[in-house]
Amino acid sequence: MEGLFVILIPLVVFAVVGLLGRRIGDLGSGILTTLGGFLSFLFSIPTTIRAIEEPFQIKLYEFITVGDYTLKVGLYFDELSSITASVVTLVASLIFLYSIGYMEHYFGRWAYKFYAYLNLFLFSMLLIVLSDNLLGIFFGWEGVGLASYLLIGYYHEQKKATDSALEAFVMNRVGDWFFLFGIISVFLIFGTLDIVEIFGKVGEVESHLIGLSTLLLFGGAVGKSGQVPLHTWLPNAMAGPTPVSALLHAATMVAAGVYMVARLYPVFEAAPETLKVVALVGGITALFAALAATSHTDIKKIIAFSTMSQLGYMYLGLGLGDREGAMFHLTTHAFFKALLFLSAGSVIVAFHHKVYDIYRFGGLKGYMPVSHASFVVGALALAGIFPFSGFWSKDRLIGSYFEVSFVWGVIGVLVGFITAYYIFREGFVVFWGKERWRGVAGEEPREVGGVMSVPMVVLGVMSVLVGFLEGWYMGVMGVRKELHIEVAVISVLAGLMGIGVAYLVYVRGVVDVGKAYESLRGLHTTFREQFFTEKLYHKVLAWGYLRSSRFAYNLGDRTVIDGTINLTYRSLLKVFKLVWKAFDIKSIDILIHTLAIGMFRGGRVLRNLQTGLLNNYVMFLLMGVVLILGIMLYALDRVKG
Amino acid sequence: MKTIPVEAYFAVSMILFGLGILGLIARRNLITVLMSLELALNAVNVAFVGADAHMGLVEGQIFALFIIALAAVEAAVGLGIIIAIFRYRYVESTDEITDMRG
Repeated sequence: MEGLFVILIPLVVFAVVGLLGRRIGDLGSGILTTLGGFLSFLFSIPTTIRAIEEPFQIKLYEFITVGDYTLKVGLYFDELSSITASVVTLVASLIFLYSIGYMEHYFGRWAYKFYAYLNLFLFSMLLIVLSDNLLGIFFGWEGVGLASYLLIGYYHEQKKATDSALEAFVMNRVGDWFFLFGIISVFLIFGTLDIVEIFGKVGEVESHLIGLSTLLLFGGAVGKSGQVPLHTWLPNAMAGPTPVSALLHAATMVAAGVYMVARLYPVFEAAPETLKVVALVGGITALFAALAATSHTDIKKIIAFSTMSQLGYMYLGLGLGDREGAMFHLTTHAFFKALLFLSAGSVIVAFHHKVYDIYRFGGLKGYMPVSHASFVVGALALAGIFPFSGFWSKDRLIGSYFEVSFVWGVIGVLVGFITAYYIFREGFVVFWGKERWRGVAGEEPREVGGVMSVPMVVLGVMSVLVGFLEGWYMGVMGVRKELHIEVAVISVLAGLMGIGVAYLVYVRGVVDVGKAYESLRGLHTTFREQFFTEKLYHKVLAWGYLRSSRFAYNLGDRTVIDGTINLTYRSLLKVFKLVWKAFDIKSIDILIHTLAIGMFRGGRVLRNLQTGLLNNYVMFLLMGVVLILGIMLYALDRVKG
Repeated sequence: MKTIPVEAYFAVSMILFGLGILGLIARRNLITVLMSLELALNAVNVAFVGADAHMGLVEGQIFALFIIALAAVEAAVGLGIIIAIFRYRYVESTDEITDMRG
C-alpha cells in the first residue's frame, strides 16, 4: 500500500495547504509542502524495491463503463514508473526546500497559494507517472498544464508573466488536443485504455493504425516538452519564479512528454514511421535550441533553451530505439538541470530579483562560492565531462546515435560542443571576469542562506554520483550495453573544446565580444529570435488570428447582425411614426377636435334661444305642449286607424 | 229650460284660454301677465264645469274648486314675487328682468 501513499501525500498536502494555508501561515505551508515531498520520496523507495522485483498493479475503483468495457482507475508500478517517481519526488522536495528561501520576500502576501500549486504540480506529475491507464495519464497531463499556468503566471502583477502563462497554456492546449485524439484512437484500435492490456495487444493490430495514433500521442508530447514546433512557450515560461522553472524543467511538466513516450514504448516500437518522426523532431530541436541558447543573455532563458536541447536529445534517443538511455538521461538531467536553475536563482536572489541580464553580473565567484560551485558542477554535468552524471547518460545516447547512423552521431557531438560552449559562456560571464554590477547594484551580493544552499549541495552531490548508477539502472531495465571508448573520448573532447572556446572568448578575451557580435549580427539575431519562429507565431499567427477575428467581427457582428437589427428597428420606428400620424393625429384627434368645436359652436348658437324674457318662455312652453299633443294625437290616430 | 250646448262652453273656454295665452306671450307688464294666467286657468275651469253640467258629473267641479284654490295661492305667491322685484329694482316690465339671458 505504500505505493498509494507516494501519490496521495502531495494531494493531501495540496488540499491542506490550499484550504488552510491562511491559518498555517506561509512559512508553515512551505515546511508542510517540503515534509510532504520528502515523505512521498521515502514511501517511493520501498515501492521501487518491490516493483523492481515484480511489477504490480493496484486497482483502485471502477471509473466509467463504456459499452461492455469498464475502465478501472489504478496505479501501475514497474521499474520505469517507480524509479521515475522516486526521482521526481526527490528533486521536487529539494526544490520545495529551496523555495522556502527563494519566496521569503513574498511571505505575508498569500505565498501559501504558491505551495498549494507546487503540490498540485507534483501530484499531477505523479499521476502521469504512476497511472495504469491513458485516461489517468490524461488527467495528470491536464493537471500539469493547469499547475504550470498558475505558477508561470504567479507574479500576476507583471503583464509579461501573465502573457507567458497564457502562451504556455495555449501552446499546451494544441498538444493536448493531439493527445486527446491519440487516446481516443488508441481506445478505438485496442478497445482498452489499460496500459498493460494495450501492451498485450500490440502484436494483433495493423501497424499503420498504430502509426496514426502514436503520431497523435507524440503531438501531445511535443506540446508538453516544448519541442519544435510548439516550443516558444518554454523560454517564455521563465517569467515564473525560479523554483517553478527548476521544477518545470527538472522533475515535472517537460519530462512528462518523454516519460509518456517511454511508457508507451512498446506501442511506439510497433510503428517505425512514428519513431522516425520522433527522432527527427528531437534532433532538430536539440540543434535548434542549442543554437538559440548561444545568443540569449537572460540568465534563466539560456538554461531553458538547454532543457529544450536536452529533451531533443532524449527524443532523438527514443526515436532511434534507445529508450533506457533516454530515460537515464532524463534522470541525470533532472538533477543537474535543477542544480543549474537553483544556482541561477541564488544569483537572482542576491540581486533582489531585479537583474536578469548575464552581462550585468560578473565576478561573483568570490562572493557566492556555493552557488558558483553548484553552477560549475551542473555545467560540467550538462557538458558531459567525465565523471559527472551527464557524461554517462549523454555518452550512452551518442553511442546509440552512432550505432544507427553516422549523421545523427555527428549531430549529437555537435550539439554537445555547442551545449558546453553556451553553458560555460553563461558561467564565465556571470561568475568570472570583471565585476560589472559595481555602480549598478547598491550593495555587494551575499551568499544565500542555508535553506537554499543545502538543496544545492545535495543536488550537486547527486549530479556527480547518479552517473555511477548507470550500470545498476541498465541492469534493472534489463539491457546491457558496453561503453564505447572512442565515442566517450570524442564527446568529452567536444565538451572540452566548447568549454575552451568559451574560456578563451569570455575570460581571456581573445576575441572582442562586442566586435564579434557586430560582425555576426545576422546570425546572432537569427539564433536569438529562434529562427524567427517566435515572431512567426506572435506576429503572423496570433496577429493574423486577431485580424481575421476582427474582420469577422466587423463583417458578421457589426455589419450583418447589428445592421439587420438597426434596419429593423429603424423601419419599425418609421412605420409606427406613419401609423401615429395617419391614425392618431389625422383620425382620432381630428374627430375629437371637430366634435369639441362643433359642440362649442352649437352651444353658442343655441344660447340665443335663452332670452331670459318670461314671455318667450311661455311661448316655447306652448309650442312644446302643442308639439307633444300633436304627436300624441297622431299616435292615437295611428293606433286607432 | 233651454240648455246651453256643451260646444258653447268649450268655445268660450277656448277663446278665454287663447286670450290668456296671448296675454302671457304678448304683454310685458308683470301684473297683466299674472292676470292673463288667471284668465287661462279660469278658461280651464269653464271647460270642466261645462263638461260636468253636460254629463251630470261632479269630478270636474271638484277639480275646478282645486284650481280656484291653486289660483288663489298662485296669485298670492306671484304678487309677492312681483312686489319683491319691484322693491328691489323699481321695474314692472318683463323686458327689464332678463337676467337669465344666455
